[in-house]
Amino acid sequence: MQTADSGAGRPPLLEARGLSKRYGATQALDSLDLAIEPGEVYCLLGPNGAGKTTTINLFLGFVSPSGGQALVSGMDVSTHDRETKHRLAYIPEQVMLYRNLSGLENLEYFAALGGKGSLGRERLADILVEAGLERDAVDRRVSEYSKGMRQKVGIAIAMAKEADALLLDEPTSGLDPKASNEFSALIERLRHGGVAVLMATHDLFRAKETGTRVGIMRYGSLVTELGTDEIGHADLERVYLEHMHD
Amino acid sequence: MTARTVLRNEWRLLMADRPLRIALGLFALLLVYALANGVVWTRFQERTVEAAQAGNVEREQALAQELADIEAGAEPASRFSDPRLPNVMGGARGRHTAVLTPGPLTALTVGQSDLLPYYYDVNIYTNESSFQQNGEVESPLNLMVGRFDLAFVVIYPLPLLVLALSFNVLSEEREQGTLALTLSQPVSARGVVAAKLAFRALLAVGMVLAVSLVGLLVTGGFGAPGRILLWCAAVVAYALFWFVLAAWVNSLRRSSAWNATVLVGAWLVLVVVLPAGINIAAGLLHPLPSRVQMITAQREASNEAVNRRSELLARYLEDHPEMAEGVVADEPGLGALAWAATDAVNRRLEEVTAEHDASRAEQIALVRRYRFLSPALMAQGVLLDAAGTGDARFAGFQSQVRAFAERWRDFFVPAIVAGEQMDASVLPSVPQFNLAEEASGEVTRRAAVPLAVLGGLLLLVGAGAGVGLGRVRGAS
Repeated sequence: MQTADSGAGRPPLLEARGLSKRYGATQALDSLDLAIEPGEVYCLLGPNGAGKTTTINLFLGFVSPSGGQALVSGMDVSTHDRETKHRLAYIPEQVMLYRNLSGLENLEYFAALGGKGSLGRERLADILVEAGLERDAVDRRVSEYSKGMRQKVGIAIAMAKEADALLLDEPTSGLDPKASNEFSALIERLRHGGVAVLMATHDLFRAKETGTRVGIMRYGSLVTELGTDEIGHADLERVYLEHMHD
Repeated sequence: MTARTVLRNEWRLLMADRPLRIALGLFALLLVYALANGVVWTRFQERTVEAAQAGNVEREQALAQELADIEAGAEPASRFSDPRLPNVMGGARGRHTAVLTPGPLTALTVGQSDLLPYYYDVNIYTNESSFQQNGEVESPLNLMVGRFDLAFVVIYPLPLLVLALSFNVLSEEREQGTLALTLSQPVSARGVVAAKLAFRALLAVGMVLAVSLVGLLVTGGFGAPGRILLWCAAVVAYALFWFVLAAWVNSLRRSSAWNATVLVGAWLVLVVVLPAGINIAAGLLHPLPSRVQMITAQREASNEAVNRRSELLARYLEDHPEMAEGVVADEPGLGALAWAATDAVNRRLEEVTAEHDASRAEQIALVRRYRFLSPALMAQGVLLDAAGTGDARFAGFQSQVRAFAERWRDFFVPAIVAGEQMDASVLPSVPQFNLAEEASGEVTRRAAVPLAVLGGLLLLVGAGAGVGLGRVRGAS
């Protein structure tokens, strides 16, 4: 496993130590070791059921580990639920919002829950625009939004929170190429701002474009890890398929 | 911060949800209609009581005037209504109407005040038959369901509104997908659900209490702060019970449809089926004697008494030797004979009604014992008691009227038996009915038990909900 330099002795922003999760007879995640530093975008690749979403859920504290630890800035998620969630932002595959409220009202709500209630409406509207939403869509009801627009509100929620780490679960699934590209550009911006990103995805192209490191998972285990600088698109696809056919 | 944020968001969601706004509007209309009903009834009762009290004064003045005229040499207007005769002065002509003024919170809870008598005409002929004919021979639970008043709205539709507001408080978040995003923030499902329910509880309970306040303002019912507190406590505890029940069902992490089915089922069982079951059990276990039987017994006693007047008088004087003076055994006055017959009828009636009263007391005791099975029965009992429109206040009133009727008889009967005449000088000594209201501490003591049980139930279900919600960590 390749581990990024922690730098100045600080613990990695996101770290898995022997992290395991078992659902009955199924081993969803098996002794995962992982460390993600500020400014890194770590893409988890793998087929359905490989353990990508389980990994993210463990970092969010949505499920309890059967073994090992999920750490955020050195704090165990199991014992520091509130503190770690202050440092995390999460964008699910489908960002679901309150349909009867506007994008801005949704952002106000989730930002306030995340501890950013002091941000004014104007600042939040600016964040929505920074996240790629059209200015005139800000006050429209979410029921009128496309999936891409909802994803942008999800990104705005993460941006408003100013979290240290971002957990993304198939964030570009179902987005058109333009929206996916805009999304990647935003992630790039956040990365440059020092945010650590853990992204589960099926999209090898997006992983290569956006990620700094790529981990390939299968049957709950991390089978290989690559730096995206080291390989091209074709190589990544080849390596991925090799592991899938083993 | 979380609570304020959630409350604000809930307000926005409410404002954006037209069907919910309509439901709340309809509920508000129900409350206003129920209050108007209560106020109309209270006003009617007040007018009736005023008229009865005015009637007492008018009759006393008319008697005093005629007695003065007779003393001045005038002839009585009629030989049969000569006010000097004690059976006239103490009979229907000089009767005194004993009244129960409306309870301080009658406008909020009409309760049994429209079914149980709140005034009795007391004269020397007042007997058990007077109480039975004025009262409703009815199951206590049927008596409990009265007019469409605020208490009715609290007991029946309010839980339905509470359930409509909260059956999907968590399940909807999961089903619409917002729960994952919410719980990825530094908040707990327990905290979010508590804040959401707090908003809805403020809304529902606030509406009821606001309308109640208006009712008290309109009818001037602020004179009994202890009773108002009890009323509010019952409303709050009962509404919160339904909210925590909804929270507990939500904590089981099933679908909104499942939650709705279970909660409506709980409403049916706790509000409709159990009270009806207890009612049926009370009727089956302690059936009331037939009313026809009572009336027949009364008529038989009356006929027999008329036929055996002389014999009855002798027996009466044996029982009341202090009244024997002045009665000529061989030629007793008509008044003495009539009174002996009346007394015999009264005794027979007491025997017949004692059986009825015993069965009714057993029914009430059974209902009181099993009311703890249903939060609706507990809350309703407290609402009625707090308002002064329940069994206890009316039973107290009737008991005082019985005692008053006895004092009335004791005042006039010796003169009847002795064949004496009355004059104006006795009028100030004629017994007057003054209701002694029970101490508010007594009402509180009675209400404390169901309120404590309701509170305990609330804590128990709330704890279950808290534990269940504490386990909700993710979206699934």
